[in-house]
Amino acid sequence: MTKERYLKELWTHLSPVPERIRRDWMFDYEEHFRLAAEHGQSEEEAAAELGDPRFIAKEMLLGHRVAEAQSSGGSLRSVSRAVFAAVGLGFFNLVFVLGPYIALMGLLFALWAVSVALVLAAFPILYEGYFGDAFEFQFAIFAAMITVGLGLLLGATAYKLTRGFLRLTLKYLQANTRMLKGRKV
Amino acid sequence: MNVQFKKGVLDLCVLALTVWEDRYGYELAIAMSNKFEVAVGSVYPLLNRLTQEGFFTTYLQESPEGPPRKYYRLTPQGHSHLMALISEWRMFSVAVDELIKEGVER
Repeated sequence: MTKERYLKELWTHLSPVPERIRRDWMFDYEEHFRLAAEHGQSEEEAAAELGDPRFIAKEMLLGHRVAEAQSSGGSLRSVSRAVFAAVGLGFFNLVFVLGPYIALMGLLFALWAVSVALVLAAFPILYEGYFGDAFEFQFAIFAAMITVGLGLLLGATAYKLTRGFLRLTLKYLQANTRMLKGRKV
Repeated sequence: MNVQFKKGVLDLCVLALTVWEDRYGYELAIAMSNKFEVAVGSVYPLLNRLTQEGFFTTYLQESPEGPPRKYYRLTPQGHSHLMALISEWRMFSVAVDELIKEGVER
């Protein structure tokens, strides 16, 4: 592969990264071709030594996503992007990374939904207690307090679990990026 | 050298090379590949990651022969990370040596 084609391919595959950062990253590779030529290496040799630009781009992209997710304090969106970048790398088995991630996300979502439902349940209970005749209003207030309390408690738990889960996911990805870097040696 | 061995120590080595002076990527790549039979191409992603993790900062500097070069400078954070890696490595290598002495060279 010629220098021009190599750099162009790397540039294209890095397209999800902001241009300023991309230019900075590309500099290493441009410099490598330049210095390799000065040391008497052909463009093909230098390109072969550097390895597949697609692969390199993905590796850097994953690193970028993980760093991004970390600086955002592990937000749901950024962690999910990092997970998808990891899956895009192709070494992570779709079933082993994406599967559990989505399954656990579903579970957490269910927890959130239940906690919201419990809080909202207070309204119909109060309504029934006041206008209906299924039970007394006093009982309705009592029951509403219980459901709201349970809902909030569950909500707090869901929040803690979600944060923890996102943090763990990030840790896992980081450990894996580290492993990948050593892989080709 | 065994791949499993290299995995862990590449970070340490590339950080160690920059303790006393800032170096440019090509220089680091060549130094690493000479010592470890590492593919030159695997050094750049390594540098990239260490930079993203805040262990390096980079800057461009004019070189006497031609266009500017991108230099890597160890940050204080990188320095303390390196120190932690080195002490880990020392413990590890001492333990391995002891076991070799005990098991093989008795």
